[in-house]
Amino acid sequence: MSSGPRFAEFFTRLVPPDWSATQLVVHSAIETLMIALAGTALAVIVSLPLGFLAASNVSPPWVSQPTRLFLGLIRSIPLIIVALLCVSAVGLGPFPGMLAIAFHSVGMLSKFYAEEFETADEGILSAVQGTGATWAQTLRYGLFPQSVPQVVAFSVYRLEMNFRDAAVLGLVGAGGIGYYIQLYVRGFQYEKVAVLLLVIIAVVTVLDQLSFWVRRWVR
Amino acid sequence: MIVRLDSTFVHSQPVVRLEGIHVLFGRTLALDLETLEIEAGERVFILGHSGSGKTTLSRLIKGRLKPSTGDVQVLGGDPAARESRDHRTIQRRVAMIDQEFHLVPRLTAVGNVLHGCLGRVSPWKSLFGWYPPKEWQKAEEILEEVGLEGLGDRRVETLSGGQRQRVVIARALMQEADLILADEPVSALDPELAEDALELLVECVARRGVTLLVNLHQPELARRFASRLVGLANGGLVYDGPPDGFTEDDAELVYRGYRKESARRRECDDGAEKSVETAASHPDLRLVRP
Repeated sequence: MSSGPRFAEFFTRLVPPDWSATQLVVHSAIETLMIALAGTALAVIVSLPLGFLAASNVSPPWVSQPTRLFLGLIRSIPLIIVALLCVSAVGLGPFPGMLAIAFHSVGMLSKFYAEEFETADEGILSAVQGTGATWAQTLRYGLFPQSVPQVVAFSVYRLEMNFRDAAVLGLVGAGGIGYYIQLYVRGFQYEKVAVLLLVIIAVVTVLDQLSFWVRRWVR
Repeated sequence: MIVRLDSTFVHSQPVVRLEGIHVLFGRTLALDLETLEIEAGERVFILGHSGSGKTTLSRLIKGRLKPSTGDVQVLGGDPAARESRDHRTIQRRVAMIDQEFHLVPRLTAVGNVLHGCLGRVSPWKSLFGWYPPKEWQKAEEILEEVGLEGLGDRRVETLSGGQRQRVVIARALMQEADLILADEPVSALDPELAEDALELLVECVARRGVTLLVNLHQPELARRFASRLVGLANGGLVYDGPPDGFTEDDAELVYRGYRKESARRRECDDGAEKSVETAASHPDLRLVRP
């Protein structure tokens, strides 16, 4: 019953923020943003072909079904476990963080892309194929242009999610702002935690706006 | 008539040869043709009621459909043989203009026209959006030819119906095909635009000496532009000859099949379990075959 007032008291410890940590925190937030950007970019590059393979309207069932199963497996592994494995495999730092983010995103992005590709107009596909185009050309010119707005929307949305995911990766030594979250929280330096939260909120807000603008621009 | 010398196809053989064709959809015989040959340079217009087999015929020639029995030869090959090495070549050399235009709405007019050259450009370079400069130039020229100069950079979704129709024609011309199939190409346009679009198509095709096969609902337009008319009713051939010879009686025959068919369908719907009667078993229609 006494947890309410205690919780409120806890929040008072966040103020006033200790601005001396700003430079360090902003620096590590940029690292986290880079992890998210690189991880998302890698995931998009891998997910596009996987999305084509998983789309039942352009790939035969013996390709699309196993691909979907594989994507399901990827999605079922929690990010933190992927990150721990990546850190064990390639060592500490932002690189394993980027790998973990990319791996984890591929599961969801490929599935979304595949579902978007499946809504494509079949008539347009057979019209492009009917010009003598190869399978790959048909995907590139008949299918892809139809799906661009949604593909972009999913990708920027995933970038936003990846930044938040990457923020906790430092907890397992995979670089970025997470290291300081762990350091300050465990060290009871709540004034610095406040700075951390403000910076994370600022970046997420900017990303949110950015994704809004990009989605409006690509139509 | 101009004969295209760059073509590897020997023009002494027909462009299209159909033999002993039956196309069944479930228990319905959609198409039943003993023989149909189309020679190079012909402008064949196919008339028939809805469901007479016009679309089935053009899908058969394009290779989107395999006959239940019979042999389809287009430009000396089987258009439906996907595993064949010539498949892409035959696809490229037979252009198709669909009833719904099937353009990519988000792409520009010139972007859609350039799709016509996909069959002959490098498959790898084109994946990165690269087309040879001469293809760009050709696409611009064709857009001008169909009366769309200056509209190449406009997205197709911003064009009117008549303009989209011209983009579709331009894409087919870009393909440098030997045979152009048009399945009710003007049914989405109002009568005046329809006539203009058809005139444009026939002019462009005549300039190139390409073989043309058009499915049409309007007999008067077909008579005006065709070098040969084919009438279909209930999947069977009921007229095949010059446009001048197509009389009111023939028109009646082509469209009479429709009335009988709909009357019979109604009978079937009444609950009597009759198999759907087809042209093959229809004595009147059987007699008229050549």
